[in-house]
Amino acid sequence: MDKQELIERLKEIVGPENVLTSAMDLALYSYDASLDKATPEVVVLPNSSEEVSKVMALAYKEKIPILGRGSATNLTGGTIPVKGGIVVHFSRMNRILEIDIPNRTATVEPGVITLDLQTEVLKKGFAYQPDPASQKVSTIGGNIAENAGGPHCLKYGVTSNHIMGLELVLNDGTVVWTGGKSRDNPGYDIAGLFVGCEGTLGLVTKAILKLERAPEAVKTMLAIYDTIEDGANTVSAIIAEGIIPATLEMMDNPIMRAVEASVKAGYSLDAAAVLIIELDGMPEGMEENANKIMEICRQNNVREVKLAKDETERTVLWAGRKGAFGAVGQLYPSFLCCDGTVPRTKLPQVLSQVLEVGKKYDLTIGNVFHAGDGNLHPLIMFDERIPDQKAKVLKASSEILKLCADAGGTISGEHGVGLEKLKETSFIFCDNDLEFARGIKKAFDPDDIINPGKLIPEPVCTP
Amino acid sequence: MVDSKEIIDGLVKIVGREFVKTNSEVVAECAVDNITPMAVLFPKNTQQVSEILKFANRENLAIVPRGSGSKMSLGNPPKRLDLVVCTTRMNHMLDVDTANLTITVEAGVKFRDVQARLATEDDRCYLPLEDLVTEGDEFICSDRSHSGCFLPIDPPCSEKATMGGIVAANSGGPRRLLYNLPRDHILGVRFVAPSGEIVGAGGKTVKNVSGYDISKLMTGSIGTLGIICEMTFKLLPLPEQMETLLFSFGTFSAACDLADRIFETSLLPAAVEVMNATAFANLKINATPDFTSDGYVVAVALETFEDAVKRMATEIREMARDCGAQGDASLQNHSHLQYWMAVSSLDPILAARFSGLIKAKLNYRISEWKDIFGFAHNTLSENKLEHVISAHAGCGICTISLLMNQGGNGSMDKAVEVMGQLLKRSRDAGGNLVIQYAPSAVKKHLSMWGEPPPDFAVLKRVKEQVDPSGIMSPGRFVGGL
Repeated sequence: MDKQELIERLKEIVGPENVLTSAMDLALYSYDASLDKATPEVVVLPNSSEEVSKVMALAYKEKIPILGRGSATNLTGGTIPVKGGIVVHFSRMNRILEIDIPNRTATVEPGVITLDLQTEVLKKGFAYQPDPASQKVSTIGGNIAENAGGPHCLKYGVTSNHIMGLELVLNDGTVVWTGGKSRDNPGYDIAGLFVGCEGTLGLVTKAILKLERAPEAVKTMLAIYDTIEDGANTVSAIIAEGIIPATLEMMDNPIMRAVEASVKAGYSLDAAAVLIIELDGMPEGMEENANKIMEICRQNNVREVKLAKDETERTVLWAGRKGAFGAVGQLYPSFLCCDGTVPRTKLPQVLSQVLEVGKKYDLTIGNVFHAGDGNLHPLIMFDERIPDQKAKVLKASSEILKLCADAGGTISGEHGVGLEKLKETSFIFCDNDLEFARGIKKAFDPDDIINPGKLIPEPVCTP
Repeated sequence: MVDSKEIIDGLVKIVGREFVKTNSEVVAECAVDNITPMAVLFPKNTQQVSEILKFANRENLAIVPRGSGSKMSLGNPPKRLDLVVCTTRMNHMLDVDTANLTITVEAGVKFRDVQARLATEDDRCYLPLEDLVTEGDEFICSDRSHSGCFLPIDPPCSEKATMGGIVAANSGGPRRLLYNLPRDHILGVRFVAPSGEIVGAGGKTVKNVSGYDISKLMTGSIGTLGIICEMTFKLLPLPEQMETLLFSFGTFSAACDLADRIFETSLLPAAVEVMNATAFANLKINATPDFTSDGYVVAVALETFEDAVKRMATEIREMARDCGAQGDASLQNHSHLQYWMAVSSLDPILAARFSGLIKAKLNYRISEWKDIFGFAHNTLSENKLEHVISAHAGCGICTISLLMNQGGNGSMDKAVEVMGQLLKRSRDAGGNLVIQYAPSAVKKHLSMWGEPPPDFAVLKRVKEQVDPSGIMSPGRFVGGL
């Protein structure tokens, strides 16, 4: 089928105004929040599962690559159409279909913005807990594809702990439900497998999410340190003490500087690191835990630790954390975020090794991360226009991921493998592991048309 | 047909003569639904399991894995069976990293030993340690991490069950209300695929999106996708205070009222279990002299900080009084642990006492729990089927045990018919019905996994890809997978 015919067929399915083909439109769909770029042949904006199913069936018949896309805030190239083909943008499928309080669920389309859903359910006294920093723009579909984390995942678990059911469009266009409003449906945990599959097994067209009671009380603390080691030691000590706060976030000096330049969160610019520690739940016992945490901070040479007085102060503290990536983006033309994750006891060691890597390559590295989860986010800040910079950054990033893997950790905590870390999968997987994963991919997509080229490296051919 | 002596010799080369059991006593004990395997194997590590599966592939031998045997009644009779692979010798805790709040264990490690290992120096633990019973030459892990954390899952048969079995069945109990299921706590897995290859996924970080979440795929796969050999879980600190509130009610609607009221608040109990008097009587809890012999009991587990437990206890007692509770008791710390241990041990006790025990687990939308409970209880009573029934309120799960003996007076036919009606009712409420215990002879009349789920075609694709020759637990799972 030639390109013009494909476009005509797609127009029949979703309507002419929902098929984008101009060079400018295609350029807009050629990148995400990672460093890679590739242009699709055509972009479609479907409005229903039926339309998605028809588009998929067409791609299946013609063996055309196809991938789903939300707001493309993903950081490892998951929505880059490396093999061209069709991009299915879910922006029109952005309806909250139902908030079912008696069953503690919300049913949504994949294009719903995470924060919009959270705001809606909060009005009823409920919470959808996963809160990626990009929640203001990220979509639920994208959160599912990448198994998004976020600060509150320390206590509440990641996206996969909150997905009860999914409507899937399979490779041949079949629409099926897996899971649902009831739990323990007999069968394999297909929803569990789909969450975090980086859109390589099929497309999600509806999701049933688990809601929880919004916590009665919240306490937020800011701890300021003169050295990064003291901050990291505090994190390890809090976990080892057996306290699981709702969040345990860390930012170092380069990040605080970037944040202050754009958000004005009131961080001390001469400090080496800060921790944002939040407790939530029933108010009983919270005071005692807050005191315990502040005591641990003091034992680890904190310069100052303070409680947010009110909701305004709390909001300001969080605005800084959540705006960090954006703030860095305003100061530096490019940045690369490594998502290596380590056992929490290894944080102090790995953090100092990361800084060594920065020195070795003469790169500015800022750290803003989910410390309580051991989920590092070293941000390597640079200028892509300077020759050889990107290659140097990729080398440094790979070295950082190796450090994490060698410390008993992994190459991605919440951003995925995507395109960016295909090579680094060898740090944590052996051939058997990858071969099994290829088998799973084959079970769902034997023709390799659904978001091809991601998550699993091509097998190395032996002559 | 290959000579069975040759097969045995081949297996002996892998695990050693001593660990290939072919004597009638052992093979009979490890029979699956009265189908006797040629041999029962006791590999000592993942490598040996891998060699066994490679061998089984070459010889086209069908395998059913087994831990302590607490879940062998689950599932359809196998389509064929040659070998049972028993994980009991794979009982090492490979990495107890309590400072990181994770633990990695082999499949044959018992749940109780994990909890014992995590106990504090003075034996503060999530199970009542001094009450645990051992069989034969077993002993309970006496090495303490001194950490005071625990693995927050609440499976049936918590005295006996192995971690491999718990994960393979994704089993949970009443306290899943607060802690969820094994699938929510597993971080990594190493298993032997049906091809015999050793495959790993995940790790010991609490967040991980490096590759497909194979740990979740394996959790709840009932031994049909390979043999789970090693698992890593995340842990939680032991709750500061633990207490169970028990209330008895004369009517079902009063008991429901209490449960509903609790869920209208933002209190966070660990479990709200509503049961009939027969269920409570079978737990043999002595602390409650004023409980009537009929009626209903609501048990509320509270596991958190001391002040929060106090507040919840006060508020829930008040609610119970308003709802017309007749009896009221409180079990603290050790007796709390004993109570939930009794709940967890109920299945094997009933199975030993009633040769024709049929146990079903119904799932449905959580809002429909009263209708389901009421319908099931009435239908069973009308049919004069003596039963234990309890609902994990807030979870959408109801379990029913029919207390029957084999060779009875035709009540088995009635039981099969009623199970069909309950399945239909659960389906109408968006769920299903799984039979967890049934006499082998009755299984062919029952739909063990309820109705095939809407994604059955997907399950089939996965099974056929992972186990193309169908050697792993063939036919045991949903729709004969």
